[in-house]
Amino acid sequence: MTRIDDPAGAYLAAVGTALPGEPVDNATLGRLLGVSEEWIDIFVGTRARYFAWDLETGEVRRTLVDLCAEAGARALESAGLEAADIEFVVLSTATPDTLLPTTATQVADRLGLDHLPVYQLQAGCSGAVQALDLGRSLLAGGAGAGLVLGGDVTARHLDVRRDPARMPTEELVNYVLFGDGAGAAVLTAEPLGERVAVRGVLNSFAGLGRPAGQTVDWYGVSDRHSERPMLAEDYKAIEESVPAMAVEIFWELLDRVGWSTADVDHLLPPQLSERMTARIVEHMAIPSVHEVSCVSDTGNTGNALPFLQLERLLPQLADGQRAIGVTVESSKWIKTGFALEKV
Amino acid sequence: MREPDSLEAFLRMVGEELDLTVGDGDADRDLADLPGWDSMNLLRLVTLLEADSGRRLPVRAVLEARSLAEIHSVLERQA
Repeated sequence: MTRIDDPAGAYLAAVGTALPGEPVDNATLGRLLGVSEEWIDIFVGTRARYFAWDLETGEVRRTLVDLCAEAGARALESAGLEAADIEFVVLSTATPDTLLPTTATQVADRLGLDHLPVYQLQAGCSGAVQALDLGRSLLAGGAGAGLVLGGDVTARHLDVRRDPARMPTEELVNYVLFGDGAGAAVLTAEPLGERVAVRGVLNSFAGLGRPAGQTVDWYGVSDRHSERPMLAEDYKAIEESVPAMAVEIFWELLDRVGWSTADVDHLLPPQLSERMTARIVEHMAIPSVHEVSCVSDTGNTGNALPFLQLERLLPQLADGQRAIGVTVESSKWIKTGFALEKV
Repeated sequence: MREPDSLEAFLRMVGEELDLTVGDGDADRDLADLPGWDSMNLLRLVTLLEADSGRRLPVRAVLEARSLAEIHSVLERQA
């Protein structure tokens, strides 16, 4: 069943994020990948992204644990909480450093957390909202505060030594969309810090009978020499489906929390690429709403995106204002979103 | 691979390198009606041509082309 609004309180007390190294602009990405900078400008529109690995040598400089721990520490500090105040951790990612131990437990260790439930969700663009959803349930179950995180790194899935002209288009598209990053939020049962109430969460699998729109594969010892593509994005299905799904999510959320479009001050739309996000926002056609996007400057960072948007939202969210966040996970099609209100 | 100079050689290269089914009759076909043609294949084509020629291609000018023959004309003008 779709989980939605419940009367128990859940508040965003603080958000923290981490983007590795220096921004990589289109000229640099184009030169290192061997693809046209102008094409990226025109068709992707994203201006910059960050990588936790060296694009020239492939050397990994920072792990997902590094990025998530940095984001988590910032969120904790910003909330004014200590490790002892945190009663659960939920981390979502599609690209953990190792399968075990989980990135979530490694991050807990880095942050000095112990003797608490630590969950890891495997997800893509819906992951941050799934973490928020689970976090709300844990608060409703009696926890006072918890940390939710999301992040992704591309080092294992992108190889700049490959010839882009000979890559399947479904694989090549990933090279010009994604970047690395992490984000975190402190959730509390009572208003604290930023005092942003989570009024509703939508988290709904919508992929029955539908082929996957995005595949992220991995190799093990028995198939490490496989030619199977590590990434495959059905970008035509995504271009066709995501704008319509974004509209459905927006209206489903509004319906469940009992708001009208006039009640919504800020919109956090899906962040696929600058061009796709612009198309989605145009398609959603929500009158007089302020858009909060990050993808132009961060690239598509998967599980980190909603946190990067929230970090941009918080300084602009005035008392009593409301925001709707919409994300679509196109792997096996998951509709997620959240409704926030500053109290 | 040498930069294709004739239209026929260009069409052959597009067919072989981009795995598209392209015959001589497709030279003037509107790109919107060319099976399998999309912006990602345009990126692969531009990448191939830039690697072969060692020059930057004017993507906006290529985008104004409505057919493979028109793309070939843009390339000829750049040569």
